[in-house]
This record gives sequence, C-alpha cells and structure tokens, in this order.
Amino acid sequence: MTAQMMTGNLAAAWSARLADVDYVPAFPITPQTEIVETLAKWCGDGSLNARFVTLDSEHSMMTAAGAAAATGARVFTATSSQGLLHAFEVLYTVAGWRVPFVLVNVSRALASPITLEPDHNDVLAARDSGFVQIHAETCQEVLDSILMGYRIAEDARVCLPVVVNLDGFILSFTREPVVVPDQETVKQFLPPFRPAHLGFKASAPHALGTAVTGGATYSYFRHQIHLASVNALRVHEEAAVEFERLFGRRYDVAEGYRLEDAEDVLVMSNAYASKGKAAVDRAREEGRKIGLLRLRVIRPWPAEVVRRALRGKRAVAVLDQNLSPGQGGILFQEIAACLYHEPLRPRSLCSFIGGLGGKNISEGEFCTIFEQMEDAGGRGTGVGPVLLYTEAEHRDMEQLQFLAHELRTGR
Amino acid sequence: MLAIRFHGRGGQGAKTASRIVGTAAFLEGFVAQDSPIYGAERRGAPVAAFTRMAKAPIRERGIIAHPDVVVVADASLMGDPAAKVLEGVDGKTILFVNSPMSAEQLSAQISARGHLTTLNLTEIALQRMGKRGAISALLGAVAGRLVGLRQESIHEAIARELAELGLAASVIEQNQDAAKYCYEAVPVVALESRARQTVPVALHIPAYESPTRGTAGITVGPNSGIRSVGGWRTFRPVLRPDLCNGCWLCFANCPEGAITIKPDGRPAIYYPHCKGCLDCVEVCPTDALTVERETEATSKT
Amino acid sequence: MNWEPPLFQDLHQIPREEHVFPGAPLCAGCGGLESLRLASKVLGPHVVYVNAAGCFTNLATFPFTPLDASWLYTTMGSAPAGAQGVRDALDVLIAKGRLPKEEDVTVVVLGGDGSTYDMALSSTSGAITRKLDFYYFCYDNEAYGNTGVQLSPSTPYGAKTTTSPCAVQRPVGATQEKKDIFEIWRAHNPPYVATVSPRFPLDLEEKFVRAANYRGPRLFLGFAACPTGWLFDPAHTPDVARLAVECGLWPLKEAVNGEVVHTHFPKLSPVEDYLKLQGRFRHLFEPIVQKEAIAHIQDRVNTYWERVKQTEQKS
Repeated sequence: MTAQMMTGNLAAAWSARLADVDYVPAFPITPQTEIVETLAKWCGDGSLNARFVTLDSEHSMMTAAGAAAATGARVFTATSSQGLLHAFEVLYTVAGWRVPFVLVNVSRALASPITLEPDHNDVLAARDSGFVQIHAETCQEVLDSILMGYRIAEDARVCLPVVVNLDGFILSFTREPVVVPDQETVKQFLPPFRPAHLGFKASAPHALGTAVTGGATYSYFRHQIHLASVNALRVHEEAAVEFERLFGRRYDVAEGYRLEDAEDVLVMSNAYASKGKAAVDRAREEGRKIGLLRLRVIRPWPAEVVRRALRGKRAVAVLDQNLSPGQGGILFQEIAACLYHEPLRPRSLCSFIGGLGGKNISEGEFCTIFEQMEDAGGRGTGVGPVLLYTEAEHRDMEQLQFLAHELRTGR
Repeated sequence: MLAIRFHGRGGQGAKTASRIVGTAAFLEGFVAQDSPIYGAERRGAPVAAFTRMAKAPIRERGIIAHPDVVVVADASLMGDPAAKVLEGVDGKTILFVNSPMSAEQLSAQISARGHLTTLNLTEIALQRMGKRGAISALLGAVAGRLVGLRQESIHEAIARELAELGLAASVIEQNQDAAKYCYEAVPVVALESRARQTVPVALHIPAYESPTRGTAGITVGPNSGIRSVGGWRTFRPVLRPDLCNGCWLCFANCPEGAITIKPDGRPAIYYPHCKGCLDCVEVCPTDALTVERETEATSKT
Repeated sequence: MNWEPPLFQDLHQIPREEHVFPGAPLCAGCGGLESLRLASKVLGPHVVYVNAAGCFTNLATFPFTPLDASWLYTTMGSAPAGAQGVRDALDVLIAKGRLPKEEDVTVVVLGGDGSTYDMALSSTSGAITRKLDFYYFCYDNEAYGNTGVQLSPSTPYGAKTTTSPCAVQRPVGATQEKKDIFEIWRAHNPPYVATVSPRFPLDLEEKFVRAANYRGPRLFLGFAACPTGWLFDPAHTPDVARLAVECGLWPLKEAVNGEVVHTHFPKLSPVEDYLKLQGRFRHLFEPIVQKEAIAHIQDRVNTYWERVKQTEQKS
C-alpha cells in the first residue's frame, strides 16, 4: 500500500468506491462537486458498480438516499453548506427511518453573506438530527472515516446515517499523500450490506415512517434514536480497533495531542487542528505546557472521553469554527456542560471563535489564544467568546467599507 | 379551579363547546382557559377539548387529567378505548353523557365512578334544529349549567363563538334556543370540592430495541380493521336485500371497503367498518339502502 | 389515436379483492380514499406507496395500516424523490442478484394537491425528466386539507377556504384559476397521464389497467370530493363527484404519449348544479347571487369543451 497525492474530495470518492456502494444520488455544490463528478465517471466506466443519479435538489437527493437505504442498497451521497440546509427536514426524516448510509459534508460557511470557504455552522446545524457526525482533519482521515462510517451506520446497534465532515478548500481541494487500502482488506473490514430489517419486497410488506399520535409514543421513538446514537460510541471503538488491526491507522472519538503532561489545553476540530498542533509544538519549544484535544466524533457526544482528557488541567480554550449568534461557540457549550460535575474540572474555560468563512488562523493568533488562556488559567476566570479577527484585517475591512459606501467614483 | 373535559367525535362540536364555556366564564369575570386536542383522526373520530375556570390565575396547561366535569357528546365514546373518556374520573367527578337513557338506566350499562347525568341532546338538536350536525351550543349549555354559569352568559358566549364560525344569525338563534332548553332540562348534580394528593410516578428507562421495533414501522399490516369505526356513525345504512338488484354500485363507491360482496354476488355491510358516510345510500339506484338513526338501529339489533 | 374498447364494461368486473382495508382514520365520505381503494384493486398488493405529507399521512398511523402493501412516509416536497430512491435501489438489487425478480414491487407516490401542484413540483418534474418508472396518484381535494382547508394552487376560482375567505375585499373567495397540473405533466412528455373520478369506477379501473402497459412516469389525478373541506354532508360525496364531471369542471381524460383523449363527454349541466351542493361556494349564491363569478366559471368550462370538441372531433 503506497500513498498517492490526492485531494480530500478524491479521497471521499475513493472511499465510496472501496465501500462498493450500490447507489449515489447526487447534486452539485461547491466545494463538494468534485466528489460526485468523480463518482459519475467511475459509475460510467464501470470501475464502480453503482447507479449514479443526479436529483433535482439536495432535498430530493437526501430523500432518495434514505429511501434507497430503506430499500436495502448501500448508499453514498455528498453535499455542502446551503445544500445541507436545503435538505434539513430530510436529515431528521431519514434518521427517524433508522437507515444507514454515509453522507459527506464539505463544510462551507452559510449565507448570508454568501461565500465559499469553510466553517462549521453548516454541519453543526445538523447535530440534533440523529446523524452520527465524524469530523476529519486530513485527507487520509476522510477516506478512513467514511469506511468506518459505513461499519458504524450498518451495525444493528446503531442503524443511523453518518455524516463525515471535511473542510471545503482546506481539505476538499488540497492534495496530500493518501494511502488507498486494497479492496480485499476493505471487504474484511466492511462485510456486504445485507440488512435483515430493511427492504421493500413483495413477500414482506411493511410500513416505515408512519405517523404517531401522542407524545409518549413520539418520546419513545425519538429516544430510541438517542440510544442508537449513544451505542455508536462503543461501535466506533470496536471499528477503530479492527481498522487499526487491518490498516495500521487508529482513530478515536477524540484525539489527544501532547496532552499527558499539558497544563493548558486547546480544543479544536477538523482541518485547522493541524495548525493547532503546530502551534502547540511551537509553544512547547518555548517551554509552555500546552496540549491539544481534537474532537472527531461530535455526535454521539463523547462526554466521558472529553471529561477524562480535560480533568486536572488548569485552563482550556475551545476554538470554535462556528458562531451561534447571541450565544457564542457551539462546541464550547458542549465542553462546558460535560465538565460541570467533574471535581477536577479546569479552573478556566475560554471561548474563541475563529476561522469563520475560512478565515486563516495565523500563528500569531494561536499565540494570542495561548497567552489569554494562560492568563485566564492563572486568574481562574473565563474568557470570551473572543473573535479571532486582527487589527490588520480590520484595516482592510475599513478600506472595503470605504469603497462600498464613501468613495464616489462617478460613472 | 374547575376543570371541564369535553369528549366528542370530530364535527360534533366538542371544541366549540369548550370555547363557549370558556367565553361564558370569562364574561362572568373568571380567569378562563380553553383548548382542543387533535389526534390524526378526522370528522367522526374521537376528539377532546378542555376548559378551565378559576378566580385566580390558572397554573395549568394542556390536557385535563383530573376533570371536575366530563361532558360526553356521544354515548358511543364510552365504549371506545381510544377516547379515554373515563380517564382520571373519580367518585366526585360529574359525568354528563348525551344519551336517550336516564342516568339510572345508563349507570346500569357502564361502570363509571362519579355522578352520572344525561340528556338526549341529539334528539333535542334534531327536533329544534332539524338536522344532524354540531351540538356545540347544547354541550356548552349543559357544561355551563353544571359548573354554575349563568344562562345569559352562555347565551352571549354561543353568539360570539358561533358567529366566529361564520354561522348565520338565524342558525345562531336556533342554537341559543335549543341551548336554553338544555340548560334548563339537564339534571343538575352538585359540585363537590376535591383535594388530591400527588405522588411521584415511577419512570421507565427504555432500553435500546432492534431498529424494526425501535422505529415507527408496522410489519403486520393490514391491521387497521381491528379497530371499529362504527362509533363514528350518527346514521347507518340499512340494506333491504329484497330491493337490491345486485348492481355493485354501493360496493364500488364505499370509500372504506365496508361493503363486501357475498359468494352469492350480493352486497353486505360490515358495520364495525362503516363510518356512516351514507355514500352507498346515495348511489343505490333501487332504494335498497335506507338510513336509520344509530340509536334506533342499535336498539333493534 | 385509436380508442381501444374498454375492458371494464360492467361493475361486476371490479375485483372483489381489497388492498386498502377499512379502519383508516380518514374522514367519513373521503373521495380520495374512495379512489385509492379502487386504484389498489388494479395495482394489487405488490406495491410500495411513497407518501407525501397530506391527508393520506393518516392512512398509516402507528400501529395501524390499512394497506397490504408497503408504505414509506417521506416529506411534503420530496415523495417523487423517495420513489426514485426506492425504484433505483430495487433495480440495482435485482441487477446484482440480491433481490429475486419476483420480489419486485411497483412504486406509487401518494400526494395531495398541495404537494402535487406546488411544493413537490420540482421533485416531480425531476422524476419525470429522469423517466422514473412510477405511478403518481394525486388525491385532489383542491385545498390544503389536512391543515384545515387552506387555499392551494388547485383551489378553483370562487371557492372559499380558510385563507381565501369570502370577504368584502374579495367576495368571490379564491380569485386564482386552478393550476393545470395535467398539462404541466404532459409538457414533460410522460407516457401516461389521466384524470379519474371514483364516481366513474369503470373509467378509473380501465385507466389503471391501461397505464400498466407503459413504463415511466404515470400520473393519476383523482377527484377527491371532500365533505370536510368543501362543506357538504358526506352522503353527497358521490353526487358532488358526478356533477363535477357532468358539469364539465372535472374532465375525464387521458394522454398517452402526449395525445389527449377525453374518455367521457359530459352532459355539460350548468355549473350551478355543482356549486350549489357545496358550502365552499355558498357565498356565490347568498346573500346575493354573484352572477359574474358564476358566469366566469361557466365561461371557462364552455371554452374548455369547445376547444375539446374542435380538436378531438377533427381527428
């Protein structure tokens, strides 16, 4: 198994191919389009034995994906941003059907204003749908997470769709070395999809997704989705062990980086976590005891793993690449909640909002985060939410506003 | 606080009755609250509505679990488990049932705690308003009387609520007259004050189940026929085999599939599956199908 | 265009076997259910119904279903896409040998007019363009019925709904003209499009049998007289359905590969006969007769049938 240079999008397409999917309902949207273009080509030339269909919208695409999975096919689909939100009601619908398939979301910030580059408000908007969420840092992890995603989704203890997130541009269009596992080993990891409880056939009619009346009935079924999602923690662990045995790479629900002896911890997710790790290395060289916790599985929420990783630390800074207006960072809230009953909880919990709309997070900004975090840790107070947005960037912004509103050029 | 729960079938006016009582109580200076609950059920299917009235702010919401008064618009609901007419009814609840039977006669047939009282509202409506339809004003008047509201405020509340539904003034007047009659005719039972002790309930922690059982699916269909919809009827179609020409129009036009064809090629009505729409009566070319009021028909069978 | 002699000439040919069983919590006298029951007698049990949000959502209410076929509830806007997913998956599984061919099922979308005429139109248009092999059964009760009878794009001129009330500013109620979904479908060039009425059961059964000869998207637009929404006694469902056809407001027709043929030439009774039966049109007659509005409805019917006579009598 040798590595080859490929983008995150190509890695995603490769994973669908290795998973030997049966069906790819598709709809284009930047920065995801390459994935479906690649799969269309492979379905056309026979290198993937699947039916590829372009739907009329993401709403339709997600419905077709869920319906095909409910019929017993292994399904792959992909979208991004506005597309994910256009399909929003269907996310809940298909999760309620309890159908396994993998959706790739290529993160892109949400309109308005419309833009192309990533942040995670799109995928995090879907966090309460019932989809299992895996967030990838590298192109290799994209490929591997999709394979793991099928295994988790199709496990009878879970039976939920999985969304694998990768950052638009930063991963989707970025090439780096990726090892493509061989098909035979993938088959060992991912047995053929033969669900006993799914399928529409003449001899066994059944109704799926029926209406319910009464809150108690609804409560029961909605809670089953919760239990299924919680089960995914254990199933993920089993899949991770098997994946490591077969492929030599290990993925846990969350990844600690230089955590063991760290006093202060930066929490991040997705591709910019690579930059966070580099910043940690630089800080270490300066003798600062900083580590990083990268959140990988966001749903189910790995509360226990997070709690164990952060107990006894002095200060924790959560860097959210999203913004819940009127609140702050989404992951910050979840981290704070799961530390509440931890006796050794960090003295200080800081909230930073960065990388919105794909804005770069510079070395200097990481440095500022660390300074503020250490400061807060010393004081035992919180910080934030603090927007990562520099003075230099604001000077540029003022120039744009000047052009938009003040400079009269005549015609 | 007094809590009144109305049970009816969709279209009978339980919701409007709850609003009439709510408005009447409001007009008399009470703090009032009224609300309906809908299932996925339609005209003819069981529905419930709630009115609360008090001298102080009402710190209650939603369904009424412990009613002081239960008003039942249709006696057939008593035997319908989906209607849950008797839920939370205790020895002090007043239970009004629209029925041709007296309270004594009815209490021999049903085992319900509480104080039973009856009046034949359907008959009064037919006589005074002349057609089958909503009896909201009548239900409201009865409920209003049982909780001690004045006739005048019921009268005004009927005008307001029925006008809101777009009913003509003449129809509203008819309703008011019939309601006044019911207000005076209903045997009154004195309200008793009640104190309840609340105890914690045991919570069940559901375990994960297989996706088949754990999602809203059905694997043993068709099974809707095990539910009787016979109680939806106010009238029933009755087939006179001697007049039937065996044309099958009734069979073809029954929306429910409640009319089957016997081995001899003749139709038969299966009443538990008949909602009483009477489409079969309308299409019958030979008048072999006639209409009977449900109470008369059941007393014969 | 040759009009084949109909197979269904006698009511006794209607199959006795039921596939939509009693006990569904739909309104008494539901014209939509009446059509579905008749349709299912031809469609048979080997069907998956892909349902859009609407009155028929109540057909399968946990834990009961009236169907001996399968059921998948989707959303209001994407039932045809659900049909796409099911059909495609069945094809793939059969092709790959994972599903025996005899286990195949027919895919039938169920949608009300609210879904069919507006929200699911993109999804429907996509499915027809992709030549999806499916039936689309629309129960058309000319309003958003399940939400309590609001104006839909299928609501005809002059009808009162809760969101097109008869008001001082707009005494006729709905001022729009009913959207012509039959022609919108036909413009996509599907193999089969038909209107049906349960009051014409032989015509209905015949059309379902004829549609089975084609592959691809097949529309059935079912007249669904609605006692609850149209404000008439449920006993009159058959009369309302009959008069809709005989007054010329609900033409019974089909289009095979785009070619339109009317399957019943009505008496063209005055539209008043139909309108007067229903509370939703009462304001056209009381307290004053809105002659212009009634004439407008009559004019449109007359124009329609004159055009039909010109085109179909020529050929």
